Amino acid sequence: MIELKNVERSYKTGHTETWVLRRVGLTIGEGEFLTVMGPSGAGKSSLLNVLALLDDGWLGEYWFSETAVHALNRKQRADLARQRIGMVFQSYHLLDDLTVAENIDLPLSYKNVPPKERQGMVADILDRFQIVAKKDLYPNQLSGGQQQLVGIARAVVHAPALLLADEPTGNLHSTQAREIMELFCELNRQGTTIVQVTHSEENARYGKRIVELRDGWLTRDEKLEPKTTEVGAK
Amino acid sequence: MLPDFKYALRQLRKSPGFTLTAIVTLALGIGANTAIFTLVHAVLLRSLPVADPAQLYRIGDKDDCCVEGGFPGNASNTGDFTIFSYDLYQYLKKQTPEFEQLAATQAGQWSWSVRRGNALAKSMHGNIVSGNYFATLGLTAYAGRLFEDADDTPSASPAVVLSYQTWQGEFASDPSILGEVLFIQARPYTVIGITPPGFFGDRETDSPPQFWIPVNTEPYLRGVSSILHHPTSHWLYLLGRLHPGMNTVALQAKISESLRQWIRSNHDMTQNGGSVLIPKQHVILTPAGSGIQNLQQETGKGLDMLMILSTVVLLIACANIANLLLARATVRRADVALRTALGAGRRRILRQILTESVVLATMGGAAGLLVAYGGCHIILALAFPGAKYLPISAQPSFAVLGFAFAVSLLTGVLFGTAPAWLSFHAQPAEALRGINRSTRDRSSLPQKALIVFQAALSVVLLAGAILMTKSLARLEHQSFGVVTTSRYVLHFDPAGAGYTVDRLPALYRQIEDRFSALPGVTSVGLVMYSPLEGDNWSECVIQQGHPAPHPGDDCGSTWDRVSPQFLDSIGVPIIHGRGFTDQDTATSMPAAVVNQTFAKKFFPNQDPVGQHFGIDLTQYAGSWQIVGVFRDFKMNDPRGPVHPVYLRPLAQRFTGYKEPDMISTENNSMFMQAMVIGFHAPPPDVEALIRHTLAGIDPNLTVMDLRSFDAQVAGNFNEDRLVARLTSLFGALALVLASVGLYGVMSYFVARRSGEIGIRMALGATRSSVVAMVMRGALWQILLGLVLGIPAALVAGSLMASQLYQVPYYDPWALIAAILVLNLCAAIAAFIPARRAASIEPMQALRIE
Repeated sequence: MIELKNVERSYKTGHTETWVLRRVGLTIGEGEFLTVMGPSGAGKSSLLNVLALLDDGWLGEYWFSETAVHALNRKQRADLARQRIGMVFQSYHLLDDLTVAENIDLPLSYKNVPPKERQGMVADILDRFQIVAKKDLYPNQLSGGQQQLVGIARAVVHAPALLLADEPTGNLHSTQAREIMELFCELNRQGTTIVQVTHSEENARYGKRIVELRDGWLTRDEKLEPKTTEVGAK
Repeated sequence: MLPDFKYALRQLRKSPGFTLTAIVTLALGIGANTAIFTLVHAVLLRSLPVADPAQLYRIGDKDDCCVEGGFPGNASNTGDFTIFSYDLYQYLKKQTPEFEQLAATQAGQWSWSVRRGNALAKSMHGNIVSGNYFATLGLTAYAGRLFEDADDTPSASPAVVLSYQTWQGEFASDPSILGEVLFIQARPYTVIGITPPGFFGDRETDSPPQFWIPVNTEPYLRGVSSILHHPTSHWLYLLGRLHPGMNTVALQAKISESLRQWIRSNHDMTQNGGSVLIPKQHVILTPAGSGIQNLQQETGKGLDMLMILSTVVLLIACANIANLLLARATVRRADVALRTALGAGRRRILRQILTESVVLATMGGAAGLLVAYGGCHIILALAFPGAKYLPISAQPSFAVLGFAFAVSLLTGVLFGTAPAWLSFHAQPAEALRGINRSTRDRSSLPQKALIVFQAALSVVLLAGAILMTKSLARLEHQSFGVVTTSRYVLHFDPAGAGYTVDRLPALYRQIEDRFSALPGVTSVGLVMYSPLEGDNWSECVIQQGHPAPHPGDDCGSTWDRVSPQFLDSIGVPIIHGRGFTDQDTATSMPAAVVNQTFAKKFFPNQDPVGQHFGIDLTQYAGSWQIVGVFRDFKMNDPRGPVHPVYLRPLAQRFTGYKEPDMISTENNSMFMQAMVIGFHAPPPDVEALIRHTLAGIDPNLTVMDLRSFDAQVAGNFNEDRLVARLTSLFGALALVLASVGLYGVMSYFVARRSGEIGIRMALGATRSSVVAMVMRGALWQILLGLVLGIPAALVAGSLMASQLYQVPYYDPWALIAAILVLNLCAAIAAFIPARRAASIEPMQALRIE
């Protein structure tokens, strides 16, 4: 589904250039559940931003299904992201003045889905995530786990092929984290390809494969046996 | 305090955009106000530089000018007597011991030909005054002495007093001028003194008197044209110094009774039903500490309007400052919270913020002072174009400067410290958390309200500016009925060069011959008063066979004496009968040509050609025969409808009058004062050519004024132009300030909501939808501003209706144009931050989050 070839990313600060991704080559198959790990500053979020098409400043090749992302212009990349990718953030990034339903509706409104259809889709996802009762509440009336649930609902409401999650449980306690990870597994089972960034070994074990980044280099790429395989360093 | 001051400077230096915007805004608001108020103060409020001005009173309240017969001005309608003959002045002076002194000063401000020794004569403004004039004002001479009663007797040696400015400018501060003889209208006058430097006469004007001469020398000066001893020729304003403690109401009633008494005893006033008007005749006693208020009456409304407009600009500027400071204070909330968390007391933090506001206001005030200086010069140049000795200083009024500065300081302090004060009530931890993903930014509500307020005021100013500009354009480009292009108007003064009536025909022949022979000249028209020069004569017309009109009857007609080529020279055709020719001589049938309005008014439904008419008295009703009718044109009042006008030929002096004042007026009318010279295309050195040609005829003929006919016509609209230009300037200022304000608020909005915008973009919002979101937010504020501004603009328009010419105050086009201009500028101001919002990198924004 995704193929990265020699992807590099650097930032210029004054006269110095700092590399955050070095010649990354990565293939992600359809239906995979990939975990990106590594210490702080290793380039995990940078890689996620490249995958999410939020970043344009990288070099190399990026294939999304049959589409050569590296050959697309900014607008085409934004269109592709809008249609195929969903994102879940560590700090949820819900809009404070929109209700739960309105927050979930947001990506659909940007895809110009007709209002009636949107209403149905939002109702479905509320039902599926069992948060119908909370649809008229505002984010500050929800717990962290509930907020992240809404964040995930918002990310998958338009049925993206690829779901990217940046430390999705970073702000949650362990019970809430487990529930969220179970939800990811369920989505994955239903066919959604998932890439998550996490520091947590426990969360990583919910996935099928781990890649590790250090100083921008891909240093580990390991398939996991579901829940039973010990994760070891390369 | 010093560390606070240093920190404030460092903070301002760190935000050059904010600092510059705030200073420029303050400078424009303070500068514009100070400049306008300086003009208002100088014109409307300043006292004469004389002793105890509060004791000065004028008998009269209107600007009637310059010589009026019988019941002057509106006296036949309203009974308000405001201009007086010399005879009436002397009578009232005897009747009013309540005045310590009662002086007379000429109502008109005439130019005279003045020569020193054998030098070429110059045109100067002079004022004829009574001998006690300077004593009444309480002035003492700068050099020599001022008039005494003894200088103002028929037998006194003719004396002249010069103004300080004239002594400096025209006579190079030569002390030997005292005791020297100057030739005024070719008559010798001895210079006896110089007035003090700050004295520019008894009224504000762009052409203040350059010298003063005693009223009893008027016959000596004007010869056969003299009006001093015509009891019913009114040409003097009366200015008196009251004894302390006088009751002005009782005095006014007493003078009014004396006036009625004088009229009763004067046959010329009571004939033809004049007695009927006597009961309502009265005077109005007006304080004259600020001088005779003619200019104030003419310009007061315009200046009041400019004051209001400049105040609105100051309000908009203050709103901008408030907005800038609110935005800044909100941004610095975390800074305040951090300081509080670190143990800073409220007073300490307030002091810091206060210091910054004061430093900013001081810098703005200093810049405002510069703008005020420049603005004063520009406004005075606009208000009095070409003025030689302007009695108004361009030095800004420091009282106003202080006021405007205090207002902006207060704004700065209020809006700088209030948010800080409010932030003390928030938990520092909340502020320190600093997370904001709100789509509605409640803290910016006051800012949005200020933008709505600014937009509303901008619409008012813009609509006003468009109305005034449109009105000016209608005034300037109306059909005056004359051709002004390629024509020059030369004013000269044969009397000043010593010509007598019998020598005039030869002079006029010579002038016509010499000027007609110049290359490219198409016509040369001689005339007493040229069209739209601001002066003309008017008489009461009596058709032959009609009874004498009663006082108050509308029998007035403008009249002029002209050479045969005059109508050609201004491009006015004869539409019936014939024009004047060289055959209209002193011995031929006395002829007149009249305009269409005259024909309609005095000979309705008749053929006017062949009819006879005369002036003032029935025995003269058959004086002249109408030989032709010319097309209407605007002779004197460019705003009003065309008045009846009749013209008489240059060569025909009516010799049948018995009354001395009519004889002297007829004699006076033989002196042409202007010449219209038409060219195919004026040569480049046309002015030098005209001056040279006139000097070639007689070097003593002084050029009193020379300008193109276009410039003469345009001169009628100086005040309208000033008001229109300043209104436009204020409209533009308001627009710029409102746009800057909107830009600032939207920039702040984008900065505050960059996180939210980043999330929206990460969730699929397109750049155009982000632009649309920001623009929508801005245009809502403008829309609300319009909802408030449009009715306000209509109210403002109705208040300025009297200033408008052929433009309705509710002119929909002006409103539409104002709305479009405001929207366009608002769209530009909002588009810049909107584009910035659209270029937010979601990745960056999320990282900041």
